[in-house]
Amino acid sequence: MKQADSLRAVSARPTNEDFRAMLARMERAGHLRRVKKTIRPEHITALCGKAPAAVMCEAVEGYDIPVVGGLYWTRARMASALGWPEGELGTRFAASVARPIAPEAVERAACQEIVVSGDDVDLTALPIPFMHEKDGGPYISAGVAFANDEKLGPNAGCYRMMFRTRRELGIDLFTASDLRRYYQAKFDLGRPLPIAVAIGVHVFEHMAAAYKAPAGLNEMHIAGGLRGEPLQMVRCKTVDVMVPANAEIVLEGELLPNGWTADEGPFGEFAGMQGDLKRNPLFRVSAITHRKNPIFYALQMPWENDWLNGPATEAACARVLGLAGIQVAAVRATEGGCCGWSVVAAIKKRAGEGKNAIAALLSLPVVKQVIVTDDDIDIYNSDEVEWAVTFRCQADKDIVILSGMKGKHVDPSVRPWDLKPGELPTTSKFGIDATIPEGVPAFRYERIVPAFLNEIRVEDYL
Amino acid sequence: MTMETADSALAAEIEALLRRPVFFRDVLAALRAHPYRVILRAWSDIRTRHALARDEFGRYWLEKT
Repeated sequence: MKQADSLRAVSARPTNEDFRAMLARMERAGHLRRVKKTIRPEHITALCGKAPAAVMCEAVEGYDIPVVGGLYWTRARMASALGWPEGELGTRFAASVARPIAPEAVERAACQEIVVSGDDVDLTALPIPFMHEKDGGPYISAGVAFANDEKLGPNAGCYRMMFRTRRELGIDLFTASDLRRYYQAKFDLGRPLPIAVAIGVHVFEHMAAAYKAPAGLNEMHIAGGLRGEPLQMVRCKTVDVMVPANAEIVLEGELLPNGWTADEGPFGEFAGMQGDLKRNPLFRVSAITHRKNPIFYALQMPWENDWLNGPATEAACARVLGLAGIQVAAVRATEGGCCGWSVVAAIKKRAGEGKNAIAALLSLPVVKQVIVTDDDIDIYNSDEVEWAVTFRCQADKDIVILSGMKGKHVDPSVRPWDLKPGELPTTSKFGIDATIPEGVPAFRYERIVPAFLNEIRVEDYL
Repeated sequence: MTMETADSALAAEIEALLRRPVFFRDVLAALRAHPYRVILRAWSDIRTRHALARDEFGRYWLEKT
């Protein structure tokens, strides 16, 4: 299917909220602060890590492009960006994915207000920050890569890119992905793969691109589902690829058919650990297009990357629990578990379902540890969860350990360096059943309540 | 955004640093007196002219030819 077949040509409408409008909303909600003081690019990541809110660095030394970072650092900031209640990220994501909406093609786009091409392309004109102590160079961390395949259709995904030269970036295509599959097909023919990389797209597009969509489902249709309206896209100037019309900056070019040969990395990875040096393809940039007065987005690892996947994880957890016939009250992918590896679920339990829930949740590929509670526990309160584990769990009966399950190379505890080339790691997983044990009456857990609780107002005394 | 030329003296300074294995952050730290963008331009020129060696930790160095 040709890419254009799935698009309807319309004139640009003002309804598509763009990246900078999202930033304005976050600023009004107190989740984004502007920094007037001049900062060097290599200090931005440290500032983002220490700041109590996302930051917009308006004066980046040597550049006339502001840099924003830390947008999705916490559940609260992610919820603010999405405009969704914090407790509904998973359910809203699931509902949106269930009703994808095809994008619309537009002829004129803000992302092409300025076009720089050919020998004028100079990536050093962008404030690409150096982020972590052991990184192999400055990194574009918020790039959403768009590609097209004659048979498989368009694809979008999130890939990191390391600055190498004025016109070349290293791109991490080490792990299996649709883009890697598209690239492999071209590489086998000795041909380059045209791609475009959008920097500074709305959270809906970024989250959709990060989502491992089922085969055949265009990620930007999911973005439309998240928006509740078609995403507006425009054809690139130098490659036959569509990109979000309101992106701040777009890099157009080709993945060269050099294969997995160019040094790339290390980079601070999504699991919060410094990754390895890899050998990867090269991305040669043929054009840079951008809005007037563009904003460069520097996604901060690991939490921003993790939170882009958190709602999808929570949606997947709710789905498998539902398939197991379990009534779900709430699911929380925890930040400590990188919003995917560790999950807490509250259920309306019937006999045996504490263990059933553990089995269901641990069947998800990335989930490695789970805690299941009754629905009277506020799973967003870690003290409440710990209380439930302490008093509703007998370790010899209520901790479930499953061995020999599918693991991930990024987890050092599976000792990936001992594996043979191409060998996949296995891992053990565990779950804690912190629901009220069968046979123990619920009144044994009656909470203490201060006398006349509702007759007292703190502000009357303090 | 305009094209500007790299500082050849700065490139030579980076090449001197690369006589032993160094992380990229060491290059930045050693050249703090220079604007970040100028360092990246010089780095671009070096990477264009040389195939830099890397060790398993990700450090760079210039192999003697």
